[in-house]
Amino acid sequence: MDILELIQSNLLTPIVLFFLFGIIAARIKSDLKIPDAISEFLPIYLLAAIGLHGGIEMRNTGFEAMFVPMMVAIGMSLLFTLNHYQILRRLGKFNLFDSYALASTYGAVGAVTFSVGLSFLKNQGVTSEGYLAAILAVLEPVAFILAIFLTNMAVSKQIKNKKKSLGEIDSSESELEMGVTETKSNLKQVLHESITGKAIVILLGSIIIGYIIGEEGFSSISIVFDELFTGAIVIFLIEMGIIAGQRLDDIKKVGVFLISFSIIMPTFNGVIGVLVATVLGLSLGGAVMFGLLLASASFIAAPAVLRHAIPQAKPSLYITSALGITFPYNIIVLLPIMFMVSSVVHNEGSIDLFHYLSEGLI
Amino acid sequence: MKLYNVKLLTVTCEILAQKNVIDILTKHDITGYTAYEVEGNGARGLRGQGLKNEKNVKVEVIMQEEKLQDVIEEIARTLFTNFAIVLYVSDVGVLRTEKFV
Repeated sequence: MDILELIQSNLLTPIVLFFLFGIIAARIKSDLKIPDAISEFLPIYLLAAIGLHGGIEMRNTGFEAMFVPMMVAIGMSLLFTLNHYQILRRLGKFNLFDSYALASTYGAVGAVTFSVGLSFLKNQGVTSEGYLAAILAVLEPVAFILAIFLTNMAVSKQIKNKKKSLGEIDSSESELEMGVTETKSNLKQVLHESITGKAIVILLGSIIIGYIIGEEGFSSISIVFDELFTGAIVIFLIEMGIIAGQRLDDIKKVGVFLISFSIIMPTFNGVIGVLVATVLGLSLGGAVMFGLLLASASFIAAPAVLRHAIPQAKPSLYITSALGITFPYNIIVLLPIMFMVSSVVHNEGSIDLFHYLSEGLI
Repeated sequence: MKLYNVKLLTVTCEILAQKNVIDILTKHDITGYTAYEVEGNGARGLRGQGLKNEKNVKVEVIMQEEKLQDVIEEIARTLFTNFAIVLYVSDVGVLRTEKFV
């Protein structure tokens, strides 16, 4: 199957179709809406299911295997966040706050994207490593913490420069110290909020419970947490489609640069992620999920964290680009691309791709 | 029954600014307030649809006039530039003035 066929067949899965349906419903101004309680419940359910599966898998594979991929994922997430910032600030000419907010939104992970990825793999009949759920939990706050720290450093540097020009500088205090003290209270709050936040709590809790109960204990609840999984994503994606559809007009306002950024950056991060994961020895599906972790942007957790930590940044920029552009692109186009790349580097689809390329050349 | 004059401060803001408002109130030793989710339209567009984090909230606080100036000054200074927020003050009468210090 070549890549266009894969994208095409992915387009016709219920998940993607219902997402597009949600967008259409919003565009024709239908009053269709998933009730609040359900759209708040579904992310919790999805994370619980992801966590349980992860925990059960980890019982079989042990913890040792996850250490290196987790460290690499954290390192890459930090590196990518810095890279995003440079691109946004220098090439995109965004202000400092918007640049850091966007950089961390794209450095962070999207739990919904992750769920869609799992169900995509299920559809392809491929499994992935269970410990990726634990990486999802750990990766969630990393990019935000870095961005908040750097923003506070930059702000205190500005204040210092202003003071210097006014001639009232206290030379004993370095930028770093000022940045650190400014950041401390802020970071403590953010750390506390993200670690005790519902996403991480339910994810870690379910991983531990999954680890304890194992396959046997899971069989009694598998009807809810296994068989209903894809169906639940479908319902949630109607809601996501509606919200994305309501924001379609805003996409024009974010500008050509940010639109291209929201497509090129995830592609770059994702493909690099797939390649690195393959080098680390992850399976075909595992490499896709690893890439997806790095490609996805956060749109549920990001506003909650960033509105407090970097209130100067415009939420319309980071929510619209993450939910309106990157999320649809990731689940419709990038997932099949990464799957293809992963198949090629895992030497399973190489012949197909070779044919595809050679046909293209001739 | 005799009614005592106090001030009612009403703050309508995005839900993610609620914590900041409450923190300012607490800083001025005001612990009592009422908050509820609302929706509406304003300078920052239609609010209250879509993601939970983008909803609006209305916070009502009764306080003595002496504190009012400091509280609204701090809310205006720290929150007006970055958040979707509107505040207004009205005169109300209460029976038990000692509840609203």
